[in-house]
Order: sequence, then C-alpha cells, then structure tokens
Amino acid sequence: MSFLTPLFLLGGLALALPVIFHLIRRTTRERTVFSSLMFLLPTPPRLTKRSRLEHWLLLLLRCLALALLALGFARPFFTETTTNDAAVPGAARRIVLVDTSASMRRAGLWAEARARVDLELRAIGPGDQMAVFAFARGSRPLLSFGDWTATPPAARAALVNARLAEISPGWGATNLGAALIGAAEALIDTEGQTLTGPREIVLVSDLAAGSHTEGLQGYEWPKGVTLRVETVAAKAGTNASLQLLADPTDGDRQAAATVRVRVRNEADAKREQFSVGWVPAAGGAFMGAPVETYVPPGQSRIVTLPVPAGAAQAIALRGDDEDFDNTVFVIPPVAQKISVAYVGSESADDARQPFYFLRRALPTTPRLALAVTPVPPGSGVPADAAMAVVTDALSAGQATALREQVLAGKTVLAAPKNVAAAVALAPLLGLATWPVEEGRPKGYAMLAEIDFKHPLFVAFADPRFSDFSKIHVWQHRRLDFSARPEARVLAKFDNGDPAIVEVPVGKGRVVVLASGWNTEDSQLAVSSKFVPLLYALLEWSGALAAPGAPQAVEENLALSAGPNEAVVVTGPTGPATTLAAGTNRFTPLQPGIYRFEIGGRTEVQAVNLDPVEARTTPLPSDELERLGAPVARTKPSAVSPIGQEMALQGAEAEERQKLWRWFVVATLLFLLGESLLAGRAARRSVTAPAPLAP
Amino acid sequence: MAVANPPLARAPSTLIEPKALMGIRSLELRARAVVEGFLHGLHRSPFHGFSVEFTEYRAYTPGDDLRYLDWRVFARSDRYNIKKFEDETNLRCQLVADQSQSMTFGSGGHTKAHYAATLAATLAYFLHLQGDAVGLLTFDENVRDFLPPRQRADHLRLLMLALEKPAGGRATDLAAPLERVAQLTRKRGLVVLISDFLAPLEQLERSLLLLAASGQETAVFQVLDPAELTLAFERPTLFQDMETGREIYVDPAAARAGYVEKMTAHLAAVAGICEKLGVAYQRVTTDQPLELALFEFLEQRRRRKTRGRV
Repeated sequence: MSFLTPLFLLGGLALALPVIFHLIRRTTRERTVFSSLMFLLPTPPRLTKRSRLEHWLLLLLRCLALALLALGFARPFFTETTTNDAAVPGAARRIVLVDTSASMRRAGLWAEARARVDLELRAIGPGDQMAVFAFARGSRPLLSFGDWTATPPAARAALVNARLAEISPGWGATNLGAALIGAAEALIDTEGQTLTGPREIVLVSDLAAGSHTEGLQGYEWPKGVTLRVETVAAKAGTNASLQLLADPTDGDRQAAATVRVRVRNEADAKREQFSVGWVPAAGGAFMGAPVETYVPPGQSRIVTLPVPAGAAQAIALRGDDEDFDNTVFVIPPVAQKISVAYVGSESADDARQPFYFLRRALPTTPRLALAVTPVPPGSGVPADAAMAVVTDALSAGQATALREQVLAGKTVLAAPKNVAAAVALAPLLGLATWPVEEGRPKGYAMLAEIDFKHPLFVAFADPRFSDFSKIHVWQHRRLDFSARPEARVLAKFDNGDPAIVEVPVGKGRVVVLASGWNTEDSQLAVSSKFVPLLYALLEWSGALAAPGAPQAVEENLALSAGPNEAVVVTGPTGPATTLAAGTNRFTPLQPGIYRFEIGGRTEVQAVNLDPVEARTTPLPSDELERLGAPVARTKPSAVSPIGQEMALQGAEAEERQKLWRWFVVATLLFLLGESLLAGRAARRSVTAPAPLAP
Repeated sequence: MAVANPPLARAPSTLIEPKALMGIRSLELRARAVVEGFLHGLHRSPFHGFSVEFTEYRAYTPGDDLRYLDWRVFARSDRYNIKKFEDETNLRCQLVADQSQSMTFGSGGHTKAHYAATLAATLAYFLHLQGDAVGLLTFDENVRDFLPPRQRADHLRLLMLALEKPAGGRATDLAAPLERVAQLTRKRGLVVLISDFLAPLEQLERSLLLLAASGQETAVFQVLDPAELTLAFERPTLFQDMETGREIYVDPAAARAGYVEKMTAHLAAVAGICEKLGVAYQRVTTDQPLELALFEFLEQRRRRKTRGRV
C-alpha cells in the first residue's frame, strides 16, 4: 500500500494524546461550591501510575480511531501495474505560442520573446512534447509535435532556435483568440495516443490591447488544457498611431479632395504633441508643412489633410517612440470620367420621360465625371461610352453597331418604352423575330422573385433594403426569352412575367427591363432603388471602379483577374512578382502601395496596418480569465519527470480506489463505539455528594 | 434593675444540638428555645451617668463639673471629692450580621448564615427580654438593612424579619458596615459583629479601632463551618468561589496542609487584632450548640465587668 499524501501520517503522532489523557487522573467537571478560595491554590493534574491505566478498551478505541483518520488523510492506494501503451505516460504536452504581430516589432520585444522560448526549452523534461507556433492574424507551426518527436532530444533546442531566428514579427494584426483556440485544439488532438500528462499552452506575447480576443468568448475551453502567459513588456514610451478614415460621404461635393486620418495616443503615453503630414511612399521627410496636433494620452483626434499635387502616397506621424504604426498609405482620389450613351428621342426637360431621370441620377462630381450623352435615333452610338441605355426603338444600323460593341464587352441597359421599341431590340439580342406584347396588369404589378445574389441586387440583399414592393408598375412588356436560354431572369413581376433579364451577348451583356422608369410605366425612377441600381450596373459593367475598402496586411485582396489573365504584382519593396494565371487572390504581407498589372490594366491598392494592432496598451491582467481561459498563475515547480510520473499514476489509482472513504467509515464506527463505552463508564462512575446549596 | 449572675454552667446534655435546632423553621422560636434558661440573666450597664445610685467617690481634678462635688464630704474631710453614680439606662446593643454569599456555605445540614442568624436572633431575644434596646445592621459588600436599637415589642419582630432575609451579596466588605455603625450609633453601647471574616483583614483592624474610639464596646463572633477549618473534602473537584464564581481545580488531599496552615494563620490574625483592641472575640463553628456561644459571650462580659470594677 502506498500513500498519496504521506505527510498526513504524521497525524499518527496524535496517538500520544489519548494515552496521556488516560494517564492523567480524570479531571472532573464536578463542582464543589466553597465559601472562599482565598486559602486554596490550584492543584496541578497528577499522572496516575502506569499500573492504574484505566479504561484500556476506551483507550484502544480512541487510538484506533485516530490512527485510521490519519491513514485516511494520507490517501492510501494499492499500486497498480499500468496498462498504458503510450511511450511516455504522464509526459507533458506543451504548445508555445509566439506572437509575431506588428506590435512585437517594438524595441526589444522580439529578443525577449525568443529568450522566453529558450527558457521553456531548458525547463522541459525528457519525456515532454513541445510544439512551437507563431501567430499573428493566423497561426502557423514553427515546430510540430511530429518534428519534436522526430528530432533527437539534444538537437531540439537548436532546431527551435534556428526556426525562430528565421522569422521576425511581421505586420499582421494579433488574432489571439483564434491562435489560442487553434493551439487548444491541437493539444487535445492526440492522434489516438492515450496521454495522461498535463497539457499546457505557453503564450509568449506582449498582450496588447489590440489583440483580437473576441473569438474566445463563445469557446468552451477543453478540459485539462491550461494556459500560462509569459508577457513580454515593452519599455514604457509614447506610442501614437494613425488610422486612415473612409472618405466622407459628402466628399464628392467638396471642391478640393481631402484625406482624413485619426491620430490616436495610447493611454500610457508621455508625450502629447505630434506632427502629421504627407511623405513619399518610400518614406522620408514631410512634403510641405505638417499639421501639428495635440492629443492627450488615451484620446484621439481627427486631422484633415488636403491632397497635395504630386506623388505623395503616404501620411506619416512624427513625435512618438514607436515607428511601426506611424505611416498610412493612401491612394489620392482622382476624378473618374465615365460616359453613358442614351439612345432616345425625348427632350431633356420632359419630367415624365426616362432621360430626365437618368441625367439626374448620374450627376457629375469632383471624383466622378459622369456624362450622359443623348444619341438621337438613327445616329451612331459612340464607342467610348462605358454603357448604353436604350429606351426608344433602335434603327437597324444602330442595332447592328451596338451589337458589335456589346459583343466586344459593352453593357447595354434596355428599357423599351413600348412594344415597338422592344421588338426593335431583337437584332441586338441576336434574334430574328421576337414576339412581344403589351402587358397591362390589373391595378399594378410589383417586382417579385428578385435574385439578390446577382451583382445588380447584392447591395439590396440586406432585409432592410430588400423591400421593392413600393415600386408599382402600371404597364410592362411581356417578353419571351425562350429563344435565348442563357438569358437569366433577375426579377419577375408578381404575375410571373419576367421583369429584369440579363442576356449575355458575347463579352458583353444586355440587361432588359420589361418596364421603363418613365412615369407612365412605373414608379422606379422615384423610388430609392433607382440610383443604387444604376450605379450597381455601372460597377458591374466595369466602368465604375468600386470604392476600395481599407485593406489591411495579411487580409486577402480580391483581384479582378479573368481566368487566363496573368497578374504581375509590384509591392512596396522588392521586384515585381508574377502570380499564376487565374489567381484572383493576393495576400499582402506588409503595408505599402501595391500595383497589380492585370491584362494590360493597372490597379493600385494601398495596404495598411490593421489600426487595432496599433493599440499597444497592455490588456487587463484578468482579461483572458474573464474570457474563460484557464490561466495558470505560477509556473509549475520543477518536478523530476520520473517522480512526476509516479505521482500521477498514484493520483489516478487513488482516485479510482478511494480507499480513504473506508478509513473514514471505520473511524466513525470506532468513535461510535467509543461514545457508547464512555457513556456507560460515565454512568457507572460515582459522584461525590455535593455540598449543601443555600 | 436587679443584677444577678447568669447561670454559667449547664450540663451539656441539656444543650440543643444545632442540627435539631435548625429544624425549627421560625427564627424567633429558635431564639426562644435557646434563651429558655436565661430569662433572668441580667447584666449591669458599664456606663456611668445620671442616676441616683451612688457608686464611688473620686478625687476632684480641675475641670470637673462642680455640681457633682460632695460638699458634705468636703465639710467632713476638707477634701474635694466627686460623687459618681451608676448609670441605670438600659444597654443599647447593635448587632452587625454578615449576610454575604460566603455565609451560605454549610456542610452539616445548615449554613453559616442560618447559624449566624440564629445566633443574632438569640442575642436579640435575650437582650430584649432583659429590657435592653437591640438594633440590627446586616451587610454584604454594602449595608443591607439597618434597624436602630429600640426596646419596643414589635421591634424584635422587624429584627427577625431582617435576619431571615436570604444572604445574597457577592462579597464581604467589613469596613463599610462598621464605619456606618460608628456614624449611626451616637450613644455608647455594645456592638456585636457576627461574620465569617473570610475576607482580607486590612480594613478590619482600622474599623474596629474606629468603633472602640467612638466608645463602643465591641464583641466579635466568627462563625465558621467545620469543613472550612479542615478542608474536609475527599474527591478532587473544581472548587467554585461562592462570592466571585472563580473556579480552580483542587485536590483536597494535596491542598489540605497548605490550606489549614493559611486558615490557622488567618484565624490567629483575627484573634490577634481583637486582642490588641480589647475586643471580645469568640470563634464558633456551626456544629456547636448555640447555648455554649451564649454562655461564653455572657461569661466574657461578666469577666470584663469584673475586671473593669477592680
């Protein structure tokens, strides 16, 4: 029999107590009331002689009860022969998560992180397994458990250090939650092995407030996996950061284009005065006078900078101690010229006709110069128009010329005002004859069965915007596309007739509206859907560049490359790289200006640091615990691996056998017997006559 | 008032056993039973005052009141002599009875308080029968009851009622009641103090001196239980102090020698103080017949009187 907590056996020393108490002449609780104690002194208890040891059975019971209690507390168990087939049962499994996010670029942090990993390598026991993961936005293994096992023990530390030397903190954001979940899952995935040892994640990070921990909120932490945090702390200094703000919605109306940046100063900052100004993309001194701004610690200010003439593509902040988050890259907005040809005969001032509404829906702004050019019937449609809108009947020559342009890739929006105009579209669609009839719904028709997955309607997919029922249609053309099976019905009327149909023609497409937006046909022109729909069509046609969303490092960048178009990327540093044909995703790894040469056209994209990453104030110490992670406060004391293994086996055997319960039951039984016996003895004892009470 | 020698000697067989005596519920009956044989016991007042009964002459000294000058003797012998008369006022006796908690101890069927009350009642009854004025003061740590010496018939009943009150105080303070007696008793008389004197004696001497200085004749009865004298207990038990409630573990067999030694020293100290101040001291134990105490008391007074007249 072995004991899990043998120190409790020292409690057996308490056996001496009943023996001593039995040797002491029983001190009575009887009282003698006496007139005055002024002549009396307390008598010390006297030991009886050994031969006068009384109540030996009682003594025996008491000693046994104490001894059993001490044995029970010592948690006895019978050693079992282990049946574990694991190579090293009880060995620890540990994943070291090394933060390589941009905030680790601060001075001294990476060296300290490597030193911490090195300490972990030294502290590891011979049977333990270790994996090292680096993480920023995503995590990647530097050394897997497989690598660890495959490497000779003597070479493991060198291997880990060599792999760590190859990497350095990048520019990514810190997705701490995902990294911890990934590591926890990797720890519990034992690949069929029965592992009994402790499982632990060691997090080596600066724990900046900008770490994304929200992923942990809904995560149920696996049982038995603990987390130990090795925080690397930066020198206390001022860190302010820049964040590029989205264009203001009224930016189109401003005379001069401006760029707004938010200057944020961290709460533990020492300085409050910063300069913000344009710099060349490659870095360097301010171009022109910078804007001086005063930002108290923990607050932020928004600075508006006019776009300068020239090649300025970056805004820099000066005046703090940490440089990694001091530059944002900006593509200065340029005015875009788009021409739309309108094939129709109406007067521009007729407030009931489509042209009147079209001109007002596509106004000219400093950023976007939209020109709607009317094309009288019979005239040729200009080839440089990005899109053509057809409402009147096309002449044969117009139809043929337009079909050529559509085949080459142009988008045509056809909204025939009457049956004749609809029939005249047949050559454009490549049909010989096209049976069209006027549809007059009873009362009014509404749009139904809208394909919200189509690029035209994807902006309306949100339930807040998907209500088209306020657009009443009083008359429409009943179109039959049975001859063009590739035609895709994007919306139908509630009577089942197609309302909006996309007909691919060559590289281009014709979008046919069965009802126009003139006031006789429908309320489309006066609904809130009209302008977004037109802009969606312009974007879809490729004429209007979609406003570029702020792009962060390590986020996938969608490219508009066709299936066979090669993409040549020119990043902020290094030579141009050619991506494989058909690639439409690119992951930038550092902030800067990226140029993509795609099939002869150039796209420019500014990539910036995730603004959240610039928040370098440390997280509250209990943040991870609050999110449910089982954070171990102290490093477990170094126990010799063999002793540790035996202790673990013992703990498990004891847990199974639970012998202590029997010892406690036996103790209680003995105490019960002792109480009965003592009670009987007390009744037998003769009490002295008490002195007379007054 | 006639003076007669009291019957000092009586056969022990006629004495009433305290156990039997204490069986009588009424304190007055108990007192009467004891006093049976002393109906005619009288004693003279030791004080001189205004009276017709001449006792003696003494030589005139300047300052004496000329009214008492015996001019006839002067005419006869040409000497100035002052006439002295026997005071025939009755004796004023103030009984002072201890009713503190320590008096409630008793091992022989009755407590010291019972015994002391019976003793006081016996004295009171005896003196009352003689026509003397008897007063009572009972005390524990404070003065409890005070009845000034009177001679009226119903006064004796009030006195018995005060004596029958159960003892209750938590401590014994000898100084306060004796000072009170000294303050309240202007006229000279007899003060009989009945207590177990189981209290520190620092104040006792000073208080008795005060009484003596105020001209009071003082007699002291120390009432003790026989068990208190010898610590007559067998089993080791927790001994609890009646007055303070303090408890200590005492093995009587081990503690007896030291106890008896200290007790003897204490008794000797009480007796020594009384002797020094000329106070009649008498120790009685609760197993002694009360008549003996009374005999002894009267005998002492008789001897004192005789001595005083010599």
